[in-house]
Amino acid sequence: MSAGARQIMARGGMEAQTAGLTARSVACPAPDLRELRELPVQRELRNLGELPVLPALRELIPGLARGSVLAAGEWGLLCLALAAEASAAGAWCAVVGAPGLGVVAAAEVGLNADRMLLVPEPGPNWPQLVAVLLDGCELVILRPPAQPSAQMRRRIEALVRRSGGVLLVAGDWEGAPVRLAVADREWAGIGDGHGRLRGCRARVVVTGRGAAVRPRERWLWLPAADGSVSAAAGPVSVSGEASARALPPGMRSTG
Amino acid sequence: MRGERARDRVLVVWCPDSPGEEGSAGPRALAAALAEFSPRVTALDPQACAFPARGPARYFGGEEALAGKILEALAARDLSCRVGVADGRFAAELAARAARGEAAGQPGSRGHPGAQVWPGSLGQRVTIVLPGESATFLARYPVSVLDDPVLADLLPRLGLHTLGDFAALPPADAASRFGPRGALAHRLARGLDPRPLVPSPPAADLSVSQEFDPPEPQAEVVVFAAKALAGQMHAALAARGLACVRVRARVVFSGGGESSRTWRHDGLLSALAVAERVRWQLSGWSTQKLIQNGSPAPDAQAGGISLLRLEPEQLVRATGRQLGLWGDSVVSDRVARVALRAQAMLGHDAVTRPVLSGGRNPSDQVAFLPFGESGEPRFSPDLPPGPGPGRLLPGPWPGRLPPPAPATVYPAPIPATVSDASGAPVTVSGRAVASASPAFLAEGDGPLMSVTGWAGPWPVTERWWDPARATRKARFQLVTEDGRAWLAAVQGSRWLIEAAYG
Repeated sequence: MSAGARQIMARGGMEAQTAGLTARSVACPAPDLRELRELPVQRELRNLGELPVLPALRELIPGLARGSVLAAGEWGLLCLALAAEASAAGAWCAVVGAPGLGVVAAAEVGLNADRMLLVPEPGPNWPQLVAVLLDGCELVILRPPAQPSAQMRRRIEALVRRSGGVLLVAGDWEGAPVRLAVADREWAGIGDGHGRLRGCRARVVVTGRGAAVRPRERWLWLPAADGSVSAAAGPVSVSGEASARALPPGMRSTG
Repeated sequence: MRGERARDRVLVVWCPDSPGEEGSAGPRALAAALAEFSPRVTALDPQACAFPARGPARYFGGEEALAGKILEALAARDLSCRVGVADGRFAAELAARAARGEAAGQPGSRGHPGAQVWPGSLGQRVTIVLPGESATFLARYPVSVLDDPVLADLLPRLGLHTLGDFAALPPADAASRFGPRGALAHRLARGLDPRPLVPSPPAADLSVSQEFDPPEPQAEVVVFAAKALAGQMHAALAARGLACVRVRARVVFSGGGESSRTWRHDGLLSALAVAERVRWQLSGWSTQKLIQNGSPAPDAQAGGISLLRLEPEQLVRATGRQLGLWGDSVVSDRVARVALRAQAMLGHDAVTRPVLSGGRNPSDQVAFLPFGESGEPRFSPDLPPGPGPGRLLPGPWPGRLPPPAPATVYPAPIPATVSDASGAPVTVSGRAVASASPAFLAEGDGPLMSVTGWAGPWPVTERWWDPARATRKARFQLVTEDGRAWLAAVQGSRWLIEAAYG
């Protein structure tokens, strides 16, 4: 910083601003307006080492580590639930290769539909597309149209690491450090010709590569009666009292 | 604002004989002659032109004086015309025809309430409807002048023979009984124009192009030329005070290939940014060809690029644009760049953003807009009923599926087979009663899965008044042994899986 500029800055006030515009712009770069325009949450998000997950999922997985690949089993609500908290916190989420994405369900789980980019038909060039999307989106949910080769997988993993985003794969991904899967499902609210679907109790299992991740499992409402995700009690037998307890939160038992 | 528009005086010149004389020279001569009086002349049909009368009338010292001048000027060109002046185009047009007493089903040019006919030197060729008297003037015309065969047939049978009878109905009732066309006709009958007179848009061709001879094999050179072309295009647009919403870039290869792509512009892109899009387009095109041919060295671009053309589309007045300062109203530049690159690879429509909308079916509840385009959903999502801005058809949507919503909504429903315990297909009667409990479900040609829980049938009948879009079906929710839950429907005795839960 030149002596003149320092003097002008020290003086401050309107006079200095009008008199020393050129000097000032050289001395201290003007704050980037684009950066200011972001929400404070977004700025925080950018500095975090991992993206947040829904409170109900935190016992299974504390967060989505940046630069990592997660395999989330077959395409379903679990993928969306994993992305929900980060999306609500301001992260952009791209969904690749899922033409049947239920956006209403995604919104009910907690994703922000305004921050979603959808590429339903990525075509044969999908690895390149994923690379492009990872440049700008914190989260990419990928349903691979084809099984990638080992070489392709390594290249994509390297890309994810470099970009600092998170790749959620709906499907199998060999060598993924964290894998989640729905092991059991039990639908509530529907009988034999009566009622309606009110929620699903699902046993979600997390396994990981190496000793870092111990296998864990939790029962979750996936989804609960209002479409959200919450923790559920363990399995219950289908006796009268127990099934009343098995109603998702927010539901009254009318029996 | 609307009231002010309704009071806008419009002058219509009608030349009943003009096309017969010299073929298509008549209307052009008419428009050329009128250009001396107003720059805002709009051709209504080959025989009639209209322009807003307020300014010229003040300049020439009154509407009668203006009409006299026009008749003189046209007489000098051997055109014999009638002039009508009224509030709004519709009334002015009828007035012009009434000036000669030849309007369809004419009630006679004399004795019009609210109208003044100037005989004598003007020779019954000018009718001026006094300000605010358009409705009175129109009241005695038969409804057939509305130029709507359906209404012209229907209204007399309802006892409404004249525009005055029709205009006496409350506007809301007319709209609810006769639909949007009826509402429009009702506005006309009340002497209100549906829209203000619009001067003709600029007809100049603002597209720019550059040929490469010999064809240019290097993409970089073309991108460089694109920058210069975009600069020219922007200068031409700016000179006319216009901006384009989209720009179309066309690249023709000497091998016969052609790549044409539309880019969002909104008057925001710099010349460099347009050139960048041309670069993406070229690289996207070459990778696309690479995939189609499957060979690493395609001949698609052999011979190079012979023509580059930039066409501005959807010209609008350049009014500038104000961006939001805080928060997430703006897509961040980082994401926009990424989405545009993805669009360059796959095409404009391949990258979409979801917009929540209203509807009963899971597939109706969301609309997918190509990235960069903005639009309102056709129906609003589930909002409490009541008037408000941006709420076209407010919710709630009775018969809508309650939450939780299905996680997978198939863009095209999957055919399915649902059978009862004996293996016979389950049917639903016209009174929405299932023939038996569903016991097995097969997805497409897949294996049979036994059904562990089901609910339904819930009948859905939509748009029965519109045969082309009417749907009638019965919905079921089914849970199968593998723990999956489905939303299925019987439509025309066929089973379809619409969505899957969980």
